[in-house]
Amino acid sequence: MGRKILLDKAHVPGIRSYDVYRREGGYRSVEKALRTMSPDAVVEEVKKSGLRGRGGAGFPTGMKWSFLAKPEGIPRYLVVNADESEPGTFKDRYLMEFLPHLLIEGIITSCFALGSKVSYIYIRGEYAWIVSILEHAIEEARHNGWLGTNILGTGFDCEIYVQRGAGAYICGEETALLESLEGKRGNPRIKPPFPAVKGLWDSPTVVNNVETIAAVVPIINEGGDEYAKIGVGKSTGTKLISACGNINKPGVFEIDMTISVEEFIYSDEYCGGIPGGKKLKACIPGGSSVPILPANLLLKTAKGDTRIMNYESLSDGGFATGSMMGSGGFIVLDEDQCVVKNTYTLARFYRHESCGQCSPCREGTGWMERILLNIDQGKGKMSDIDLLWDIQSKIEGNTICPLGDAAAWPVAAAIRHFRDEFEWHILHPDECTKRNYGLAHYADPIHIPA
Amino acid sequence: MSVVFNHTQIAEFNRLVSRYPAERKKSALLPVLHLAQESFGGWLSTDAMDYVAGLLNIAPIEVYEVASFYSMYNLKPVGKYLFEVCQTGPCMVRGCDDIIEYIKEKLDLEVGETTKDGLFTLKTVECLGACGYAPMMQMGMHFREHLTKEKVDAIIEECMNTAALNN
Ligand SMILES: Cc1cc2nc3c(=O)[nH]c(=O)nc-3n(C[C@H](O)[C@H](O)[C@H](O)COP(=O)(O)O)c2cc1C
Ligand code: SF4
Ligand code: FES
Repeated sequence: MGRKILLDKAHVPGIRSYDVYRREGGYRSVEKALRTMSPDAVVEEVKKSGLRGRGGAGFPTGMKWSFLAKPEGIPRYLVVNADESEPGTFKDRYLMEFLPHLLIEGIITSCFALGSKVSYIYIRGEYAWIVSILEHAIEEARHNGWLGTNILGTGFDCEIYVQRGAGAYICGEETALLESLEGKRGNPRIKPPFPAVKGLWDSPTVVNNVETIAAVVPIINEGGDEYAKIGVGKSTGTKLISACGNINKPGVFEIDMTISVEEFIYSDEYCGGIPGGKKLKACIPGGSSVPILPANLLLKTAKGDTRIMNYESLSDGGFATGSMMGSGGFIVLDEDQCVVKNTYTLARFYRHESCGQCSPCREGTGWMERILLNIDQGKGKMSDIDLLWDIQSKIEGNTICPLGDAAAWPVAAAIRHFRDEFEWHILHPDECTKRNYGLAHYADPIHIPA
Repeated sequence: MSVVFNHTQIAEFNRLVSRYPAERKKSALLPVLHLAQESFGGWLSTDAMDYVAGLLNIAPIEVYEVASFYSMYNLKPVGKYLFEVCQTGPCMVRGCDDIIEYIKEKLDLEVGETTKDGLFTLKTVECLGACGYAPMMQMGMHFREHLTKEKVDAIIEECMNTAALNN
């Protein structure tokens, strides 16, 4: 049984309400921070915890906080990234839906550490009902003296507002998010300047993921050192994983980062194995942007070590034989799934979501989508595979924001590991359109029971 | 339809604008456009966008360029019930293609079309953050998840019943 520190109370009846949340020990981190700690001491605990940003990039949170510029007389902002639009990812939704007060508590404690009096939660527009849940919880917190002016009589003021986006994956990128929050199109900004210096309305701003901010609560309650004892190496604490695709128990799981990928997929505590006893074919372990891995490389690294669900192990082997932890969106494909078609849907996604500012991304995503659709429909040519490879390699690293890379990586990895499947589609134009999914015999499926 | 907020809508507008520093009123544009779309029949006409521009003291073009950037704003009229079915990888793996086909057949329309009685519009959308509960679609403010053909039947019936009651 893995240790839970974020979702441990998620199943307490009524935990969404303030009274139950408080009775279960909620808001202790705010009391502790405001009454007994200095803002810098809170930042210090977060540094000690080793917490890495849970939005996808895994940047150390304490370090990010210490970069925040603090010019006199200019407000600072904490912006919480609840845009959650990376295919396969739905963990922040779960956290906000069931434990809204955990996020609010984390925001207040974090605002205290950063000297921010106003925080905005930028939430994807489609999570409309969660806006109501959060706004209700914010009202409850205010009513009970955790928000507003002179909180706990300490002189600290804090307000939280929820801002709804309107359907644009790119607004998850932090500078696009800030543009959107300012009422503009979500076009990423050129960095530098970084948000820590010039962010929302040109003020110093920290942008953090929902899960990152929630993790500040146990870190302050138990201390950074205690938090760092969970997990291994630079993967400290727990991570929320949203698991989907061909598994028996799709859902959101909190793991400590020591369990193996195999256990995660097959044990009843987590995904519960693959429906119909089918074989595992492939997996995208960290959201649609990260490289897909065939079953053999997913469960064991190229060196033959057991692959563990943490930052280091999932990326072991680099992009040649590894992948990434990313946002924790874990997408499982069974033996009947078609990698070509799956890659096509992801290419379509990135074309749809490109903001259009940089030509390699704007043109390249559309081009890749069209070629992949052709191959999927049995109209591909052998030279298309090399062409796809060429296009993706020209996007990567040549754009303003990382969406270009995010669009290139899935295509590159699919070709790297499943080239034979692309070739099969091209050589069998009739067969490949008759079957929606298929071609299991071309992958390398293995099934290792738990 | 008149594109002027009523009292309740103006109160909501004021609440939205009050969240930002006074000189940063434009920041309320996205939430105000949502409010306008909900208030004025589910889509944003040029009149509605011009009205919003006036309220926020910004040029109409600043509203148009935002409204056209974000996929949740409808720049054309839509049916009373908008079915937005997710078609990205994780939903595809769980059979969204069958659900889309079934809705097309049942409502006798293509993706992007509205039924002749103006009740239903079908759209396909990209990942909505419900991949673990696939196949799914968004309908208004809520998600409909774990879709099956039977569930689709029930949803359509529910919509027709509500529409009949309101007539
Ligand atoms: C295209 C793109 C989409 C992103 N989407 C999200 C998102 O939905 N949620 C998120 O927290 N971070 C997202 N990020 C990462 C953010 O830019 C940023 O790194 C993150 O919010 C920082 O928070 P963290 O340090 O707590 O992880 C995205 C990045 C890119 C390039
Ligand atoms: S890489 Fe793509 S999404 Fe990012 S700024 Fe350039 S065009 Fe826009
Ligand atoms: S892929 Fe459909 S909700 Fe994520």
